[in-house]
Amino acid sequence: MPHTSAPLDIEAGRLTNGVRPALPGFGWFRRRAAAPAPAGAGASTATIIAFLLPALTIYVAFTAYPAVRTLWNSFHKVLPRREEFVGLENYAALMQDDLFWRAVRNTIAWACASPLIEVSIALLLALALYAKVPGARFFRIAWFTPVLMSYIVVGILWVWIFNYDWGPVNVALRAVGLGGWARAWLGDPATALPSLIFVTSWMWVGFNMVVLLAALHSLPKEVIEAAELDNCGWGAKLVFVILPLVRATILNLIVLSFIGKMKIFDLVWITTKGGPLWSTETVSTYVYKRAFEWNTFDLGYPSTIAAVWFVIVLAAVLALTWAFGLRQKLEY
Amino acid sequence: MKRLIAALAAVMLGMVSQAAAQTKEITLWTHWAAEQIKRDYVETAIKEYEAKNPNIKIKATWYEKNALYAALKTSLRAGEAPDVFYAEPDQVEYMENGLLLDLSDLNWANIEPWAKQAWSYKGKPYGFPLEVWTVEAFYNTKLLADLGVTLPANQQLGPDAFLDVVKKAKGKGITPMAIGAGDRPFPGSHLTHEAVLKRLGLDEYDKLLKGQIKWSDPRVVETLKWVKGLTEAGLLPATFTSLKLGEAHTYFHTNPGAVMFLNGSWYTSRAFNAPDKGGQPVGFPLGIMKYPAVPGAVCNECKTLTVGGSYVANAATKNPKEVVAFLNALATPEMGNRWLEQVLVQTGIKSDASKITGPNAAYFQMLAKVNEGAKYSFGIPSQRLQAKPKEVFTQIINNAFPAGTISVEDAVKQLDAAY
Repeated sequence: MPHTSAPLDIEAGRLTNGVRPALPGFGWFRRRAAAPAPAGAGASTATIIAFLLPALTIYVAFTAYPAVRTLWNSFHKVLPRREEFVGLENYAALMQDDLFWRAVRNTIAWACASPLIEVSIALLLALALYAKVPGARFFRIAWFTPVLMSYIVVGILWVWIFNYDWGPVNVALRAVGLGGWARAWLGDPATALPSLIFVTSWMWVGFNMVVLLAALHSLPKEVIEAAELDNCGWGAKLVFVILPLVRATILNLIVLSFIGKMKIFDLVWITTKGGPLWSTETVSTYVYKRAFEWNTFDLGYPSTIAAVWFVIVLAAVLALTWAFGLRQKLEY
Repeated sequence: MKRLIAALAAVMLGMVSQAAAQTKEITLWTHWAAEQIKRDYVETAIKEYEAKNPNIKIKATWYEKNALYAALKTSLRAGEAPDVFYAEPDQVEYMENGLLLDLSDLNWANIEPWAKQAWSYKGKPYGFPLEVWTVEAFYNTKLLADLGVTLPANQQLGPDAFLDVVKKAKGKGITPMAIGAGDRPFPGSHLTHEAVLKRLGLDEYDKLLKGQIKWSDPRVVETLKWVKGLTEAGLLPATFTSLKLGEAHTYFHTNPGAVMFLNGSWYTSRAFNAPDKGGQPVGFPLGIMKYPAVPGAVCNECKTLTVGGSYVANAATKNPKEVVAFLNALATPEMGNRWLEQVLVQTGIKSDASKITGPNAAYFQMLAKVNEGAKYSFGIPSQRLQAKPKEVFTQIINNAFPAGTISVEDAVKQLDAAY
């Protein structure tokens, strides 16, 4: 037993900085692999299969099969009790589908803007807490709270906040003499998407902040102290010591946020359903509409959208990984 | 003794299993979870039917419409759908895929022919048209009187007089017309489609929806510009795009209050609940006027009549005879009259509104008055359009155009491109 519990003790409960893996757990594998083989190692194939089978069954049933089936469906017209092979017809139609491309533009804009906003604000907040500003304990809880709420609750809350007549945003604008700026924030095509991006940022900044704060707290003290001994000021310490050390964590958060926004559905569905004028349509809401709201039972075309979008998301994540030069370091 | 007990037990077991075998359960999934009046009507009908048919048990499950539709899409595909469920005639996909039971055996003599027609597909009827509704302009009689406006005898304001009402209401800080398009694909469109219908008349309007006439037709463009003028004058609440249907009701009759409310005649199913359940205040001065006359209209008496909430049967039901028998129990003139009296919305069942008595008789007379001489176009556009034209119509005519976020030219261009 000691040989199984010892590696866990090393990593357990620890969020990491740039030196260690950004997400907990994976380091265990490396340490486990490097550890000397325990006595009695060399389990039989049957034992290995017995241990793998439950997890593999769940994986195949709920991940692999649906993914393969979606790809299969994308080449078919899928109606109740019958399927019809249509080859690349769905893909050809998708290329001509201006609503799909509008949804793609919105989603990509969201996925690019949100991570930058979230992580940069989160970094500032984490640094403020790291510097132990007055009330840090309270702010840590207050800033983290939004992420504990579901998108449904957040959506309803912000529909109220953005209400034209009595929503706090417009009330505040009117109170300070900026009534001309008051508007139906979610009802205007020009402001609906930026408003929703703001909402997701509000929601996720706290999460990013906590992860970054953990990274800051686990910075090697000797490095910080060495910088201080060299008369390094706060700014220089931040730019030349702290940021490079938490770089991997920042990049991880950016990629995770990017992936999350590429799949966003709930918030849009609760607040705008993709409107007005498709200004907040995302690929996920469009898939849902095509599958359940377009007076058709065909699941082929929505599957085509899902398949194409999967490829786009995968390509984008690989591109980001490559761009960040972290192929060896990033772990999802 | 043991033998006697065993024999008795066997007999009792046999009786129980025989009773269980004889009792059939019909499952019903239906909208109107939040519309208590309609729910009461259906629940009473079920109880009465079960009392007359002790071997039948009807298990009703209540949903809100969107949740019901999503549940049906998956359950029908999986062969797990209920025996009877709520549907509306625009859901042609059910019939296209052979998922509905042919209801030719229903007692159609008790159903209005046009209502049967709305549910006919390839010559066969598939839905029992319980609810029928018209697009009506409800108004607060006191607020209108306070504005110094008196309706003409035919209850229809002219285009200029209507614009005058809008301006007077705005001048007093009152929202002229409460409509919200926040959670439904149709309420915002009533303003425009009723105007276009009146301008074009029944046949030409039908062609427009079928794509045989373009939205860039000068008559349509003129009408859109007239509607645009109304919205620019401040006809609708500033919260129009996010205001939900239920909230729009409250906006009209309770807080903050609006002069008019353009809505389906099923207004009653929400507004005639108790005030603490979202109903209008006791003694609310409710009136109904006709939609205003439209400039250049060829048919100011034209209006939309829609077959709404209906019941259909699952083609895969194991109890087709019992299902039809249950629907036939609803399809009687008595049940039609009860629907009118209780729900105060029109029905596809042949019924006689003149027989309505009681506290709501005056309401129904008012409704009948604004429908005198009306020529009906059947089905709102969001029911008649399918796929992309429907999506574009919803985004533009239900939402962006009345909200003032798209020009007439852009609206016409996008609508024409959708066909």
